[in-house]
Parts: sequence; C-alpha cells; structure tokens
Amino acid sequence: MSDIATYSGRRSLRNRFGYEERSAIFFLAPVMAVLMSVAVFPILYSLYLSFFQIKLTRPNRTPFVWFQNYTDLFTNELFWTSVRRTVVFSIVSVVAIAMIALLVSLLLNQNFRGRRVLSTILLVPWAIPYVANALMWKWIYDSGYGALNGLLYQLGFIEDYVIWLGDQDKTLLLIANAFVWKEVPLATILLLVTLKSIPADLYQAARVDGASVWQRFVHITLPSMKPGFMLVMIYETMMAIRHFDLFFILTEGGPGHASHVLSWHIYVETFRNLSFGSGAAMSYVLALVTFALSYLFIRTLGRKV
Amino acid sequence: MARIRFENVNKKYANGFHAVKDLNLDIQDEEFVVLLGPSGCGKSTTLNMIAGLEEVTDGALIFDDQMVNYMPPHRRDVAMVFQSYALYPHKTIFDNIAFGLQMRKQSKEEIERRVRNAARRLEIEHMLDRRPGQLSGGQRQRVALGRAMVRDPAVFLMDEPLSNLDAALRVSMRAEIKELHQEMQTTFVYVTHDQAEALTLADRIVVMSDGIVQQVGTPDEIYEHPANTFVASFLGSPPMNYIDGEIEIEGEDRALFRHDSVTLRLPENLSRKLNTDSGHRVRLGIRAEDVDEKGEVVEGQIIRGTVNSVLPVGSDQFLGMAFGDDELFFRVGKDLRHKTGENVTLAVDVSRLHFFDAATGKSLVA
Repeated sequence: MSDIATYSGRRSLRNRFGYEERSAIFFLAPVMAVLMSVAVFPILYSLYLSFFQIKLTRPNRTPFVWFQNYTDLFTNELFWTSVRRTVVFSIVSVVAIAMIALLVSLLLNQNFRGRRVLSTILLVPWAIPYVANALMWKWIYDSGYGALNGLLYQLGFIEDYVIWLGDQDKTLLLIANAFVWKEVPLATILLLVTLKSIPADLYQAARVDGASVWQRFVHITLPSMKPGFMLVMIYETMMAIRHFDLFFILTEGGPGHASHVLSWHIYVETFRNLSFGSGAAMSYVLALVTFALSYLFIRTLGRKV
Repeated sequence: MARIRFENVNKKYANGFHAVKDLNLDIQDEEFVVLLGPSGCGKSTTLNMIAGLEEVTDGALIFDDQMVNYMPPHRRDVAMVFQSYALYPHKTIFDNIAFGLQMRKQSKEEIERRVRNAARRLEIEHMLDRRPGQLSGGQRQRVALGRAMVRDPAVFLMDEPLSNLDAALRVSMRAEIKELHQEMQTTFVYVTHDQAEALTLADRIVVMSDGIVQQVGTPDEIYEHPANTFVASFLGSPPMNYIDGEIEIEGEDRALFRHDSVTLRLPENLSRKLNTDSGHRVRLGIRAEDVDEKGEVVEGQIIRGTVNSVLPVGSDQFLGMAFGDDELFFRVGKDLRHKTGENVTLAVDVSRLHFFDAATGKSLVA
C-alpha cells in the first residue's frame, strides 16, 4: 500500500508538468535568466530607487522618501517645460511622418519604371544608426560649413550663413525634421504592406459602382489603411516621446531650454546632477505616459476595424 | 435593356498572354448567358471586358448600337457580383448596397427605398446595420446580389458567384438567381466552371477553352450534341467515355462501329447523319447514363467488360469497367450489387451515341 501511495505521489508531481512543459522550461531557462538579470531586475530596481533620495554627491545619505520624488515633479518648472517640448516635438514629428509616409507609400504602390530602385534608396535612412544620423544632421545644420547653409546660400535664399540650431523658434522643428527623415522609411513600409493587402476586386467593384479615383481613395484605401496607420502612430509616438540621441548630439537641450525635452531632462537629472532617485521617478512617469498613449491609440483607432 | 455583341474581339495582356481569341458572340436582351470553361479559358476576361474592367485589345464590343470599347465601367449601366463578393469591409451592409446609388447622387429617400426593397427581397433586412465581417458566406452573397440589384442595371454580370458557398447553399442560391433573372428581366452574363450551374441556369451556354469559343447553344444542345470532344468531356458527370475505332458503312443507312472488342450497330437516323466514309478513324463517345444493365442483350447493341470499381453515389452507382487498357465509367441503378472482377454485359442506347473525328475531335454527327 505505502509503495503505491509514494509512487502515485511522485506521479502527481510529474503530472503537473508533462514532458513537453518540462522540456520547454528546460530550454527557456537560460534566456529567462538572462532577461531577468538585464531587463526585469533593472526595471524593478529603478522602481525601488525612485522611492529614495539618492545623490551620488552624497553617497552615504540615501533616505527613503516614499513618493516625494514623484510629488516634487509637480512643482518642478523645468520638468513641465520639458513635457511641453516633448509634446510639441512628438506631435509635429508623428503628423509629418504619417503624412509623408502615406504619400510615399501611395507612390510606391504604383507600377512605374525604377520603383524597385526607389524603394531601395528609400530604405537608406532606416539603415543609418540614430547616432550616425544625428552626427550627419549636425553637419548639415552647422553654422560654419553646413550643407544646408551652403545650399541655401548658393541658391540665393539666404544672404549670410545662419546659426540654425541657435534660433529658439526653429531648433525643435529642425530636430523634428532630422527625426522625420530617419523614421519615414519604416512608416512607409508599414503603410505599403497595408496597401498591398487591400483586395484588388474592391477597387473593381467600386469602379462598377461608379466611384471616381478620389472616391475610391476615400471610401476604400483610407479606411483599409487604418490598421497600418494605427501601428505607425503607436510606434512613432513611442519613438518620438522617448527620443534622446538627436537632442544629445545636436543641442544638448539648448539653446536655453528650447529643446529641453523629457528624455534630455531625465538624462541631465540622472547623469549630470547625479540624482538617481528623482531620475528614476521621471523615467517611470515617461514609461507610464508612453504606455497610456499606446493604449489610447489602440482604443480609438482600433475600433471598427 | 441591352443586347451585347462581340465582333472579332481579342484580348492580349501586356505580358503577351492571349486570353480571348476572335470572339464573336451575340447576347440578346434579357437573355441568361453562361460562360463555361476551365480556369484560364478566358471566360472571366470576357466578363471583365463587358464590365469595362478590362480593355478590348482588338475588335468591337457593342451594347445595343453603341460601341463601348472605351467607355468606363460606371457609364455602361452594368452591375457585377464578384467571386469574393468584394464587399467594402468597413461599411455597413446598408452602405454596401447603397454605395453605387450614392455615387450616382440619387436622393436619400430613393436610396433608402431601393435598399430596403432589395434587402426585403433577399431576406437580409435585419442585418443592414452589420458589417460584412459579421456575416456568413451565404449572407455576404446575398448582400453582393443586393448591391447589384438596387442599381437596376441593364446588364447583370456574375463572376463565379456561388463558388465560395457550400454545396447545399449553392443549389438553393442557384434557384434564387434564376428567379431573380425572371423578376428583373435584364440581360444576365454569368461565369462559372461548374457545368451543373451552367445547365440549370442558362438560356444559352458559351463553352470556352484556351480563349476560343468551342460551342454556343442551349443547355440541351450542348449536352446532347457537343460540337467536339472538349465540350463533350466538360459536361456530364462522370465524363463521357471514349472508345477509338473505325466506321464501316454497310449501305445507305447502315453503319457499324468496330473496335477490337466491341462492335456497335448504328440505328438508321444516326447512320444517315454520320458524315464520313468506311474505314474512317473515329472516337466513339458514350455518356455514362446511356447504358442499361437490365436491357435486352442484342448483338451490336451491347458492351462487355470486367468490373474494376463500384462507386455508390446515393441515388445510383458508378461502375468502373476495364475495357482494353482503358477504364469506362457507367451510371447504373443501385438495386443490383456488383463485385469487382465480375463480368458484366451492358445494353447500349445506340441512338444516343456520339462520334468524333479521331484526329480533330470535331463531332461527325452534329
């Protein structure tokens, strides 16, 4: 009797995870361990840090402050400035990316000579790393030897070389321009895939129904592109809100605070002021905002698809 | 009101594919014409040319008295039902049906009235607020019909409209399409590869193959007097059986068909019609149903063979019979149980035999 009981006891443990589950756990364990140490742990650890006042200039005094790092943000004027800058930068960038990508994808959806060559050239900005892109645009915008100055000067649009990034009103737009240039290719491809998936007979049916080119675009193309647009909006908004490289390389948040966006603010707080606790808190705010925005997009655009 | 005429119409695609070759066809007003053929035979291309979705490369396409080669689809007064239904996925059923009328700037009341009427007629009134994604295949099919109906077009075009439905629904929709044609009294042009659909629906069938019209005729003409072996094989289930042999003329109205293991004596009328000489190589065609296992055994009117396979199909059974190197299929009653390996003698209805030229495949009795 007891033999049987022991046996069945062991069986039940084994039964909980069948052979397939056990092998799955075995094979997944290494990558889970890596993910835990490089992703999950830092995320949780930074949440932990955000509840302390940690300044590396005073490494021995790190009091637990509950939510003070978060509540302080409401009275921090520079934080709100950075939020405003981020909002402007994101809206300008995402709208421009979506519009340009729509036009380019419609163009590439047509059959014409050289379409493949054009598609390949279009991908170039996508293949350039963010930092390289930023350095390239730093060159282009340079006040002394920049390509933009050279071009406009030779064409006679400007009388003198302009310090482009030194103009508070233009800085954010110029950085957005560099960001859009880098992001349009991916957005175009996402929209092009959606365009290609629209069945041809819908257009035929609409032609028989008497819809003009423009009406076919409005009644078939645009609504069918909703899923692609949703993807582009979510992805590009997330990229824009969190973008850092261009601000770091082109302006360091300047001139004044003209390009002082949230991600730059977090960088300054954390690595220049060495205030790890409040930096971590802001990072969490940024993450939550990104998350909330994506959710909102999915809710509004995802309906009736 | 529309009569459609093709005069020497050709369609060549940019890649050089010659889809329709020298098409001459006269479709009468209010006629139900079915274009029948295997995939790639040019039937859909022909339909698309009528719709204006494909340009005519060469020749003239004439509606009543007007050449319409270059007329855009919306000015042709045609409506079309697509194989995939092509419903606008983001529009409600109401808007799907109404779209053509909206594009034609009809008044709101008129659109509302017509859409409601069509929906009532097709019994889809209760789903006008839904979207195509929420409908079953059969319901979508009805919406596609409704979209074409409300337009009250001069020509109703259908491109394999039933091929995505299950078998039972297909049969009932067939009947409904036929009713629709009687009610609407317009010209219907219907494309299918399904011979049963063609035979049940058509006033006239146009059989096509490789872009060439093989035969035009009523379902009876096509089935009873196929112009060539292609038409003969394409219609009928199981397909027509062929035996290659020779004709022997024995007098004014007496002819024999000779083959190594069977000799058939042709009745007078068939012998007279047979337009060939003694010794001519012919291909004999026997429809699967033109035999009788319980018929009188008369020399010259029977065929003998060994049962190879027995395939019950409910109402009757198909008998696969080894005959030389070939296998012939016959339809027999189901009350007699046959076994494989059994020798059978079948009485042949010799008045219903078909003869084709062995070389060209053209009918010798049509």
